[in-house]
Amino acid sequence: MRTPGGAPLARPGPAALRAGAEAAAAGLPGLLLAAERLASVVDTGAHGLRLAGTGDEFWQYRAAQPGDPAASIDWRRSARSDAAFVREREMQSPQAAAFWVAATPGMDWTGDPARPTKQARGALLGLALGLVLLRGGERVAVAGRAPRGGRTQAEALGRDLIAATGALPDAGALRPGQRLVLIGDFLDDPAPLAALTRQAAAQGVRGAMLQVLDPVEETFPFQGAIRFRGPGVAVADHLTRDAAALRGAYLARLADRRALLGQMADASGLHFGTHDTAQPPAQALMWLYQALAE
Amino acid sequence: MLTIGPLGFAAPWLLAALGALPLLWWLLRALPPAPRDVVFPGTALMAGLADPSALARRTPWWLLALRMLALAAVIAAMAGPVWRPDPRPAGVGPLLVVVDAGWAAAPDWAGVQARARAAIDRAEGAGRPVALWLADGQDGRGAVRFGTAAEAEARLRAALPQPWATRHPDPVAALADAPAAFDTLWLSDGLDHPRRADWLAALSARGAVTVVPPARAVRSLALTGDDQPALVLRQAGGAGTGLPAVLAIGPDPQGVQRQLARLAPPPAATATDGVLSATLPLDLPPELRNRITRLAIEGEASAGAVVLADDRVRRHKVALVGDARATEGQALLSPLHYLRQALTGRADVVEGGLADVLPAAPDVVILADALPDAEGAALARWVADGGLLVRFAGPRMAASDELEGDPLLPVRLRPGGRDAGGALAWGTPRALAPFDAQGPFAGLAVPTDVTVRAQLLPEPDPDLAGRILSALTDGTPLVTRGPLGQGSIVLFHTTANTDWSNLPLSGLFVQMLDRLVQSARVTAVTPATPSTDAPHWTPQAVLDGFGRPADAGGLAPVAAAAFAAGPAPGAPAGIYAAGERRAALNAGGALVPALGAADWPGAALESAARAPGLALGGWLLALAALALALDTLGSAWLAGGRRTGARAGAGA
Repeated sequence: MRTPGGAPLARPGPAALRAGAEAAAAGLPGLLLAAERLASVVDTGAHGLRLAGTGDEFWQYRAAQPGDPAASIDWRRSARSDAAFVREREMQSPQAAAFWVAATPGMDWTGDPARPTKQARGALLGLALGLVLLRGGERVAVAGRAPRGGRTQAEALGRDLIAATGALPDAGALRPGQRLVLIGDFLDDPAPLAALTRQAAAQGVRGAMLQVLDPVEETFPFQGAIRFRGPGVAVADHLTRDAAALRGAYLARLADRRALLGQMADASGLHFGTHDTAQPPAQALMWLYQALAE
Repeated sequence: MLTIGPLGFAAPWLLAALGALPLLWWLLRALPPAPRDVVFPGTALMAGLADPSALARRTPWWLLALRMLALAAVIAAMAGPVWRPDPRPAGVGPLLVVVDAGWAAAPDWAGVQARARAAIDRAEGAGRPVALWLADGQDGRGAVRFGTAAEAEARLRAALPQPWATRHPDPVAALADAPAAFDTLWLSDGLDHPRRADWLAALSARGAVTVVPPARAVRSLALTGDDQPALVLRQAGGAGTGLPAVLAIGPDPQGVQRQLARLAPPPAATATDGVLSATLPLDLPPELRNRITRLAIEGEASAGAVVLADDRVRRHKVALVGDARATEGQALLSPLHYLRQALTGRADVVEGGLADVLPAAPDVVILADALPDAEGAALARWVADGGLLVRFAGPRMAASDELEGDPLLPVRLRPGGRDAGGALAWGTPRALAPFDAQGPFAGLAVPTDVTVRAQLLPEPDPDLAGRILSALTDGTPLVTRGPLGQGSIVLFHTTANTDWSNLPLSGLFVQMLDRLVQSARVTAVTPATPSTDAPHWTPQAVLDGFGRPADAGGLAPVAAAAFAAGPAPGAPAGIYAAGERRAALNAGGALVPALGAADWPGAALESAARAPGLALGGWLLALAALALALDTLGSAWLAGGRRTGARAGAGA
C-alpha cells in the first residue's frame, strides 16, 4: 500500500480505486482468516432484551386476553389449568452495526516495518468485530451500506472495509438506533468528527470510537534536525532543529487531542478507546465488544 | 617581514587571526546541519510548535577540521607567506622602479610586471616612497616623481609594452624633481639603448641600482633589403636554446588568415657579440609569397618578432614595352601577347611606351623587339640603378643599323642574324641545350620539342662564354646576360612570338620568365628617400607591443623623415601608406645585448638564484579552495547518508 519512496499513494480515481480494491481483496481471505481467529476469542452469549417479543427463547406464559388469536394460545399449557395461556418469547431484535475504518494517507503508515500499518490493524479489528457480531446474529455493514446478517456478510464487510476511502463516513450513512464503530487515528482536523458525533447523538446512535496509533506517534522518539512531512498533501511540513525538545509539546498536544475525542464521545454516547499497533489486537477487540454490548 | 625558518610573512600581524580559530571552531559547530526528512502522520498535531532552542547536532570532527584548514590557509595566505624570502634588508629611502617598456620586454611582460609589483609591495611594507618609470619614450610624463605604492601599482597594472624600442630619458630632466638619494630597481629588457649608460650613471650616483635582466631570450625578426628579400632572425641571451621557426601568415584562398608556411631556421646559426643570427631566405612560391601579410617568430609575442609584408615582399612589377609603331595585327602575332600570358598572375604588368612605364618604378622592363630610341639614356640610367632589362630579338632589331653601338645589349650582335631550318636553309631547327647547373635557369627541364629557327648571333668575344645563360645544341647562345651598373640586361636571341621559335608556346618560357623576374631586385620604396609628392606616411595597420594588430584610427600621419628613423612614439610599427606605395615599419632589427655585468657598471645584477622568494599565497588559497570543495562533497555525502537512512527507517 506504500510506494518504496515512502510517499503514500494519492487518492485514486474510480478506475484505480476499483483496481486497488481488487488488489486489496486479494488479501481478503487472509484478513478473514485472521479476523476469524481473532473473533474466536470472544464468545457471544445471548443478549436478550428482557421483554416479550419475537425471538427464539421462551420468555413467559401469560393469560390469554380477548383479542389474542387462537393460534397463539399454547394448548398444552392451557390444558393443565382452566385458563388459556399464551406462550410469549423474549424479544430478540438483531442490532445493526455500521463500521468505518478511516482510510487516510496517515493511516497507511507504520513506524516500523515489523508492525502492521494502522489501517491494516484497523481493518482487522473491524472485521473481527463484525464476525463476532454476525455470529451473535446481528446485522453488520460498512457505514453507508445496508446492514445484513448471515455468514456471507463477513466477506462483503471485509471487502468494503478494504475498499473504503475517507477519514469518516458520510453523515447520511447514519441510521437511528444503529451501532457505530469508528476506527481511525483521528489526528486530522477534529471538526468533521465533532459534526458526525453530534449527528450520532441526535439520532441516538451509540457505539465506539477506537483511536489506533503507532507507538512512534505515541512516544515521539525523534531527535536532531528533522523536517516532518505529513503523509497527505494537505498537511504542511514542520521543520525543527531539535526534535527531542519538541517531544513534550507534542505529547501534550496528543493528550489534548485524546481528551477532546473523549469529550466528543461522551457527549454523543460513544465509547472512546485507544489502541497502538504494538499491542495484541485481541485486547482492543475485547474492548470494542464490551463497548458495543453495553 | 617576519621570518620563521625558511618561511617569511609580509604581513605577519594577520597571523593573529589564527587566534580566532577556536572561536570559529565553536561557531562552526553551531552551524546547523541539514535536516533529514521524516514522513510522520503526527505532523498535523505539530502545526505552530516552535523550537525551544536551536541546538545543533554535532558536525563530524573531520568536516570541522576541513573547514578549519581552509580558514587557516586563507589567513596564512593573506599574511603573504614567502618561501625563502630575500634575506637582504628591504632598504630605506625612496625606491625607483625603472621598467624597460619597449617591444623586447613584451614576451615576458607578465613576469616583468610581477617582479615590479613584488618590489613595490615590499617597498610598501617598508613604508618607502615609490616611483615607477616606464622607459617607453612617451614624453609628457615629466620627471620622476615619488608617491605612494598604490599609485605606482595602478600605473604598473595599466602599463603595456610599446611597439618600438625602449627609450631612456634625459637623466638631467628626468631626475630634476627627484630626491638626492634613492635606490633603483631596473627591469631591463636585455638590450642596449641610446642614453642607457648616461641614465645608469645618473641613477648610480643617487644610490644603489639593482638590474633584473630578462628571464628569457630576446628575439627579433627583420627583413633584409637585398635583391631577394630574406629574413634575419636574431636572438640575444637564452643560452642553449635554439632558434625558433618563422611563420608566414596571410589569407588563404577563402580569405581566412592562417599560417601559409613555416620557415625552419637553419641548424647552423652564426653568433657574433652574443647575438645568434640566422638568415632565412623567403623561398616560397610566388602565389604564396604574394599572400603573406606578416611574418612572425613562432611563439614570440612581441612587435619586434613580427615583420609586416609590404611592397618588398610583394610581387614584382614588370613593364612590357613593345613596338610603339605596332600595327593593329592579330593578337597571336604580337610578341607582347605571349609575355602578357606568361606573366599574368605572377607579377604586376604595366604596359606602355618607355616614357610611360619608367616613372612607375618597375622592377623589370621587357623590350620585345623594340629599340630604346630617345628614351635610351633614361633606360640606361634605370638599369644602372639596379633595374633588370629583358630584351627580345626580332626582325626589327636584326634590321637595325645601330645594333653595333647599342649600349643596352649584353653582347655585341652581328647584324642580320641566322636562319636555321627555313625553306632556303640547309640546317634544321635547333633544340635547346640543357641549362647550366649554376645559372638562373638551373634545374628547369628542357622539352625536346622546343626548337629555334632563327636567332641573332653575337660577335665572338672573350666575355661571351660567361654571359651565356642558355644555349642551343650547337652552342650558339639563346639567352645572354650582361651587367650594367648595379643592374643587368638579359637578351633572348630570338623573338617573344612564334616567328623565330616555338619557345613562347612552351611552359618552359613561362618558367624562364618567372626565374628572371624573381631574380630581379625589388624596387624597394625606401622610406629613407622622402618623396616629394608624399611627404607623409599614413598608418594603415599598426601593431601593439605584443605584435598583435592594434587600432590605427587615432594616429596622425608620420613625416617621411621621422618615418625613416624607425618606430618611435607616434609612429608605432605597422603598415604605412603614401599614395600607391605601402611600406612597413618593423620594430625588429639588430640587437645590441646588455646582459652581462660588464654592461652595467656600478649596478648589482640580480640573478635567478637571488630573486625574491617564492610567494606561497596563491598556493595556500588554492589549498583553501580545495578544502572547501572537499567540505562541500563531505556535507553532501552526510546529507545523502541521512536521507537514505531516514528512508530505510520510515519505509515499508
